[in-house]
Amino acid sequence: MDREEDDFVFYGTPIEREEEIISRKKKAVAEASGNLRTLVPWKQEVRDEEGRRRFHGAFSGGFSAGYYNTVGSKEGWTPQSFVSSRKNRAEVKQQNILNFLDEDEKEELEGQSLGTSLQFDTFGFTAAELARKQAEKEQQKRPSAIPGPVPDELVLPSTDSIGVKLLLKMGWRHGRSIRDSHTNKSYDARREARKAFLAFSSSDAKKQTADPESVPGELESYIDLPAGDDVQSSESTPVYVLYPKQDLHGLGFDPYKHAPEFREKKRSRLSDNKGIGYRSALSMDNNLFGFKSGKVAPGFGIGALEELDAEDEDVYASGYDFEETYVEDIDEPSRSIMQGKQKSVRKEPGVLSGFRLALNSDYQHERFDPPVVPKDFVPHHKFPGPLETGYKLGDPGPPEVLPPEDSNLKLLIDGVATLVARCGKLFEDLSREKNQSNPLFSFLVGGNGHDYYARKLWEEQQKRGDHTKQKLDVKLSPHMQKMTAESRGQILGERPLERSAKDSSSSATSADAIQLQYNLSDTFTKPALHGEMLEAAKPFKEDPAKQERFERFLKEKYQGGLRSTESGGASHMSEAARARERMDFEAAAEAIQKGKWSKDSKLSTSQFMEYLSSGGMQFTSGGLAQAKDTQTENSITKEVHLKRKEYQWRPSPILCKRFDLIDPYMGKPPPAPRMKSKMETLIFTSDSGKDTKAEEIVIAKGVSFPVAQSDAQGLSKDVADKESEVEIEAENVERPVDLYKAIFSDDSDDEEDTSIHNEVGNPEKKGEAANTTLNRLIAGDFLESLGKELGLEVPPELSSSMNKVGNSVPPKGTATVNSVDSDILRVDNAPSSNHEILHSQEIARDGPRGNIEPVNGNSARSNSKYTETGSLGNQFDKIILEKAPQEDRKAKTPSRRHRNLSSSSSSEDERSKKRSGQHRHRYSDSDSDSSSDHRDRHRSRSKGRRKGSSREKSSSSSRKHSKHHKHRSRDSPEKERSETKRDKHKRRG
Amino acid sequence: MSVADLPKTEANVLRGHEGAVLAARFNSDGNYCLSAGKDRTIRLWNPHRGIHIKTYKSHGREVRDVHVTSDNSKLCSCGGDRQIFYWDVATGKVIRKFRGHEGEVNAVKFNEYSSVVVSAGFDQSLRAWDCRSHSNEPIQIIDTFTDSVMSVCLTKTEIIGGSVDGTVRTFDMRIGREVSDDLGQPVNCISMSNDGNCILASCLDSTLRLIDRSSGELLQQYKGHTCKSYKLDCCITNTDAHVTGGSEDGFIFFWDLVDASVATKFRAHSSVVTSVSYHPKDNCMISSSVDGTIKVWKS
Repeated sequence: MDREEDDFVFYGTPIEREEEIISRKKKAVAEASGNLRTLVPWKQEVRDEEGRRRFHGAFSGGFSAGYYNTVGSKEGWTPQSFVSSRKNRAEVKQQNILNFLDEDEKEELEGQSLGTSLQFDTFGFTAAELARKQAEKEQQKRPSAIPGPVPDELVLPSTDSIGVKLLLKMGWRHGRSIRDSHTNKSYDARREARKAFLAFSSSDAKKQTADPESVPGELESYIDLPAGDDVQSSESTPVYVLYPKQDLHGLGFDPYKHAPEFREKKRSRLSDNKGIGYRSALSMDNNLFGFKSGKVAPGFGIGALEELDAEDEDVYASGYDFEETYVEDIDEPSRSIMQGKQKSVRKEPGVLSGFRLALNSDYQHERFDPPVVPKDFVPHHKFPGPLETGYKLGDPGPPEVLPPEDSNLKLLIDGVATLVARCGKLFEDLSREKNQSNPLFSFLVGGNGHDYYARKLWEEQQKRGDHTKQKLDVKLSPHMQKMTAESRGQILGERPLERSAKDSSSSATSADAIQLQYNLSDTFTKPALHGEMLEAAKPFKEDPAKQERFERFLKEKYQGGLRSTESGGASHMSEAARARERMDFEAAAEAIQKGKWSKDSKLSTSQFMEYLSSGGMQFTSGGLAQAKDTQTENSITKEVHLKRKEYQWRPSPILCKRFDLIDPYMGKPPPAPRMKSKMETLIFTSDSGKDTKAEEIVIAKGVSFPVAQSDAQGLSKDVADKESEVEIEAENVERPVDLYKAIFSDDSDDEEDTSIHNEVGNPEKKGEAANTTLNRLIAGDFLESLGKELGLEVPPELSSSMNKVGNSVPPKGTATVNSVDSDILRVDNAPSSNHEILHSQEIARDGPRGNIEPVNGNSARSNSKYTETGSLGNQFDKIILEKAPQEDRKAKTPSRRHRNLSSSSSSEDERSKKRSGQHRHRYSDSDSDSSSDHRDRHRSRSKGRRKGSSREKSSSSSRKHSKHHKHRSRDSPEKERSETKRDKHKRRG
Repeated sequence: MSVADLPKTEANVLRGHEGAVLAARFNSDGNYCLSAGKDRTIRLWNPHRGIHIKTYKSHGREVRDVHVTSDNSKLCSCGGDRQIFYWDVATGKVIRKFRGHEGEVNAVKFNEYSSVVVSAGFDQSLRAWDCRSHSNEPIQIIDTFTDSVMSVCLTKTEIIGGSVDGTVRTFDMRIGREVSDDLGQPVNCISMSNDGNCILASCLDSTLRLIDRSSGELLQQYKGHTCKSYKLDCCITNTDAHVTGGSEDGFIFFWDLVDASVATKFRAHSSVVTSVSYHPKDNCMISSSVDGTIKVWKS
């Protein structure tokens, strides 16, 4: 800018410096004074007050636009204010592009805008007028998009734009694409030809282009041909005439698809409508609402004041009732007047145009007379088959025979006959088969009393026949009734069912069978058998009242189901007496039946008495157990008194408070852990733990798992072996004792113990024999002090170690109930045999330990606490047994505790040899607050048990268990279920 | 009460649950009933008019049991989502959720003062939750059961739980004792007689057992129905004259309490009858079924 610059050649844009800006400012001021004003506009530069060059227009790439490139101003950007009050309504401002343009831009726009104008017409608006007329004409031809009369002012028909007109003049026609494919050679050729042709007939050209339709045929065909040749290229999108949709058919649905005649008819009708006066108000209902009137959903009326809405229409109605609508239209009087002429045509709506109804139709409904019933026909159906009931009326039956002198035999025969009559021939066959060798039943095969039997049978059948005859109105036909499952099975050649076989063979279920029979067929109101039975046996002859009650009881029993309220009938009797009597009755009924069907009916009374007595005994001893139940499937001895155990349980104070009770333990020191229950759970859980673990292992190894009690011993051995394996495996895993200590510092007691164990393992191994005496002493000391402190013997230590093994393992039946995923709460049978199994395992437990011992001897420094305590315990077992051989098995747990403690103390001792007595002091310290510790431990233990996790489980083996457990409990439901199933099966079988 | 008065006639069918209905319970005065189902909802009904009143939705899994306070203001429910929900009846909102069970929760009950909810869980524990305080920790955990606890009953002073381990354990708060009665069969459901002297336990060997609470004596066994794999409820009628319970074949059984005879039985549902609840005063009963209906029975 200065003079020096002239000497240099500059490339690029110089970086402006501060001074330059200042100088520029001066310059700008100078320019403002006017010396540059004379420059041509394109040479002028726009600068702001600071002299910076500015481009106008932020969108054209200027470097600074507006106020620091914003739309704001120095005062900030104020949005358009909008104030509107009731009096001063704010006007809605229509914004358009002009609002945002500068003056010059507007000018520019004005100059550049080029548009078409519809109104361009040499003769003013004649074109529009013409178009309207055209539209009107068209409207006559086809229905308009807006049905009904449309005011002319509203809808202006569109005229062809000038462009279209030009195109048309140039030979373009509707439906033809303007841009033909120019690559087409044939097209070029044709074009050339046409040019030539046009040039040739130049005189006519104007005319022809003006009206392409009038092009002479030759040319026409010539032009048209290519269109036919390649439709693709020459044809543009077809111009569809969009007929408004006036029907309610679905889109694209054409009801006249298969009946074009009707379409024709409809069209004619529509045109008729139009002919009458398309714009008349009357026709409106036809177009706008008329068709709706027929489409109202059936069953829904419309009030007089209600308007017909879209939802009133029946969307689901088929489109075929169009004709109906049309018929309705006719019925309108005003229309009918106007359409008198059409009416005559439409009188037969079913007739197609061009057809008329035939005077006599070919098709005639043929009628046949009903078949003539023969005069001798009797409306009575004869049932096939010789099935007894009722139809032997004419049959005189076997001759009357005197009953055999043996009353027992008579009784027997009577009974059999009754049953056979009821149950069918099959029963007879069966009993014959069963009692082939029995001389008593010789009457069945034609021996003594056969005649009488035959007669009796016939009588029974007769009786029953009468009975069923009375009951004929009951839908059961005798035939149907006779068609029992057995007979059907027989027909089909099936093996007779178990029940029917039992009927004769096992008297125990006969009562059931009879009851079943009675329940099945209500036609029997009075069971013949029991009546007979009553006749036969009156067990309470000496006491008529009782006998009466007994009879009622029998009746009720065999009638099944409903029972009268005073079932005993003895209101004066006490509950107990009534119950007892009921039992007697049960037994008596049982005995009677038994007696009926026992081989030697002579014995019946004595047998009955026997039964009664035994039954009585049974009931007095067994309390309120049903005789029937005992007789049937479960012959298991009744546990009347459930196994009841009582434990101490400490409710939390707040629970008592919430229940508004006084805390029974209020003010008392926390209860000592209950012995019994503890032992119980201890043994139980540990064993169940073992058990489940065994299952795990066994299942994992693919060995079938026999959960039978008999197998338990062997199994447990197996388990023990496996367990020891696991234990040994576990030994190899390093245990981060310190970490555990750090985390579970409150369990430090335990931890210390175990750590001591671990540390001590080695020395102990060295000097086992040497230490025993010292150990004994220490152990004795320790126990004594502990006993003093607690006032009782508590084995928390042991239980903790045991729990460690046991608790980690899932509860036995728990997983089974996991199957709840099925439809509803499914509770699989929990193995109640748990106890037995466990117990046997418990017994077998000592064995395994013996097995483990050698192993432990070698690996005494094992990390597994369990094994260690085991081995140690074993070791000290001897000692303690020496010391206190009077300890019986009941005090086993305490002894274990001793063992455990002594073991720990022994190890302690060993350590104390190496270290000073300081350690020992610490230990006794922990003893002194052992009571509270115990409590804590108890809680934490219970927690641990609950969680099955490794709170206390410092030993890696138990961790392993827990892992097992988790894994197992996650995926085991099926397995478990199957197990339990098997278990169940086993138990049942 | 005679047999004829037993509710055998279907008075209403309450439909609305999608899927099985797992529990149906009358409220304390018997005017309303609640149902809980597999569709994760609890529904409140007026069984006498057959009207569905309200639906309580919040559970994440199936709802297994529901109980309402005696003043009808609060509900508690439990289910497969291991939580106990404490609801406000009127608003249908969950006031509190008690978490802590490590497995599905099978049953839930309020105590007499509606201050404690006791829940029975699959995790072998009974837990008592305090409704008064805002603590979400159980105030008592009873974990002496050795298997899933299926049902719980409360008296004024006792908590009674029935478990799959075959025991019915009574925890007496007054003397701090636990009494365990071993039935030898997995216990599905327990129900108290109205005089409070007996417990009816539904066992999985298709037997209902009536136990004398004071002596632990097995008073009676009721058989005839099928209950082998599902949790079916049982109850004693309000007169203590009959015992009723559902069956897996869709029947409802009534037994005479004393002589254990089947007083009546009828087909009530097309599928397993999961729950029955007897009206506290009238001869009316509701039953729920896997078929998704709740039926109201009257005599």
